[in-house]
Amino acid sequence: MAEPYLRVEKLVKRFGPFTALGGVDLEVYPGEVHALLGDNGAGKSTLIKTLAGVHEPTEGQIYIEGKPVQFRSPRDASAAGIGTVYQDLALNQLMSVTRNFFMGRELKKSFGQLDLDKMNQIAHDEMLKIGIDFSDPTQAVGTMSGGQRQTLAIARAIHFGAKVLILDEPTSALGQKQQMGVLKTIKRVRKRGDIAIIFITHNEIHSRLVGDRFSFLALGKVIGAGTSDEISDKEMRRLMSGGAEMGDLEQELAAI
Amino acid sequence: MADLSEADRLAQETWLQRTIRRPEIGSFIVMVVIVVVLTWASSGKAFNALGLKNNVQIIAQYGIIAIGAALLMIAGEFDLSIGSMIGFAGMSMAIMLKWGLPFGLGEATPLTALLITMAMTLTLGWIIGNIVVKSGLSSFIVTLAFLFFMRGVTEVSFRLINQSTQVSGLPDYKEESWVAWVFGGEVFGWFYDAWFWIGMRFVDMGFERTDQWFTLGGNINRRGTQWVEGFDARFLWFILIALAAYFILSRTQLGNWIYATGDNKEAARANGVPTNKVKIGLFMFTAFCATIFAACQVFENNTSDAAKGNLMELFAIAIAVVGGTLMTGGFGSVLGVVFGAITVGLVANAVFFIPAIDGAWFRVFLGAILLAAVFANERIRKRITGGI
Repeated sequence: MAEPYLRVEKLVKRFGPFTALGGVDLEVYPGEVHALLGDNGAGKSTLIKTLAGVHEPTEGQIYIEGKPVQFRSPRDASAAGIGTVYQDLALNQLMSVTRNFFMGRELKKSFGQLDLDKMNQIAHDEMLKIGIDFSDPTQAVGTMSGGQRQTLAIARAIHFGAKVLILDEPTSALGQKQQMGVLKTIKRVRKRGDIAIIFITHNEIHSRLVGDRFSFLALGKVIGAGTSDEISDKEMRRLMSGGAEMGDLEQELAAI
Repeated sequence: MADLSEADRLAQETWLQRTIRRPEIGSFIVMVVIVVVLTWASSGKAFNALGLKNNVQIIAQYGIIAIGAALLMIAGEFDLSIGSMIGFAGMSMAIMLKWGLPFGLGEATPLTALLITMAMTLTLGWIIGNIVVKSGLSSFIVTLAFLFFMRGVTEVSFRLINQSTQVSGLPDYKEESWVAWVFGGEVFGWFYDAWFWIGMRFVDMGFERTDQWFTLGGNINRRGTQWVEGFDARFLWFILIALAAYFILSRTQLGNWIYATGDNKEAARANGVPTNKVKIGLFMFTAFCATIFAACQVFENNTSDAAKGNLMELFAIAIAVVGGTLMTGGFGSVLGVVFGAITVGLVANAVFFIPAIDGAWFRVFLGAILLAAVFANERIRKRITGGI
């Protein structure tokens, strides 16, 4: 078995008296999609914010390619190759595709002048690689569909050196057809083979479609993990509902 | 592929369609209408030698501060302290020139007065910017506080040091100081030389009336002499500031950061844009523009008083909006603001060329186009963001 690119050991995050993460283990391999599932409040957001350098862990250790690392800011995490695509995508609607793609990391000629031709070309090519042929990168992001915006944010993260791509519920706010478009994009990124993907969702069907490996979070703990072969659909549903047996739930509902 | 067809739903546009959809088009059309109407209503007087000079004077005045206000607005903040900053800078320069430098440093020259004043106003801009970004308070309230604060400081300083809220009768520094000349002198003299030369050729051919239009600006007593030598120096400053702002906003990394900061600050920050530095820098830029405005006033007339720049912050913001700048930030163009400054400047001056109208109509007009511009800008924003 290859070495995981990112490994998390016994990660604990407390906010005052509240324990958001109670000792989480996680391994992410290049060329694999690691689906991270769990109900609202399970600790998914805290986990990715810790990985992205927004929060510092209270206890536990993060390893990149086997070496222990500490992130003090999102910039540290991004330099270590962790690219996070948040739900709001960190895009500016009124600005063009190219200007969003290079936001904060513009290509410059002399006097701080933008190299717009080159930037347009790169933005177009990078998006084409993962599936969108965008004819006019000067159009505003506000005119793009949700799926296209998702692709833009993913292409941007990859172009700027992401080795681990954290996708925070990329399918949640989209229509059916666009959800499939995003899943296709995820598959294309996986096919490159050099990028590890953490796919956060609470949709078991989506995770089943693209996931190679699964972790289930509930109340800040991993209550189940395994590869797609190891976890049956029934087991998956049980873990999704926070570990309760479906039969028990049915009984509870019937009793009302 | 599903996504492919979706990208194609965006219709390809012709050059004409693209031009019509440009954000500046509204302010451009209004400007053309105003120029035509004013030419007709003043029988051409608004654009004879003197009329043009006077119009350009007020257009440049408005333009200098409106560009500062517009850049700040694109980054998502307001500055209501521009007018008071003008008063403060004018007071500072005039008092130093009359009473000498502070702390007994001796006589002030136009250069030292300007540099010390500029250092103070930039510091004030830096302080305002820091208060806004560190506290997270609305810049509206913070700069409103500075509007009162600095106007008060200006008046108090005048009374304490000068015993009067007015400094007048300063020597004409333009004669010996190039600094004073750069702000208060006249520029583009060749334009009026050429104008006068062409006028005289018409006279040679026997067109007496064109002589009047080309050379006199309506003053019968000075027939046959060229008496408009050039534009006010602030015209050059307006052009320089507009060109610099245009280049920075549309062609540089800093420009991208200004747009990103005003559009969605959190998104910009997540991508590594130093949004706080951008905002503080732009508060300093509005202070810079206000100081240039004040320097032109002081060195042109060799006077200053405590009421200088009153209400100018509101004109600056109104012109920025008329020029297509979004109140909510993230969108706007320098070219649009230049068109807005020309429009508002021409209408502000119209009463001098059409004596029959009441000057207060200017404010009626400004209110009306401001409202129209806000609606137009909102439509543009909705079109870009797909109706959200």
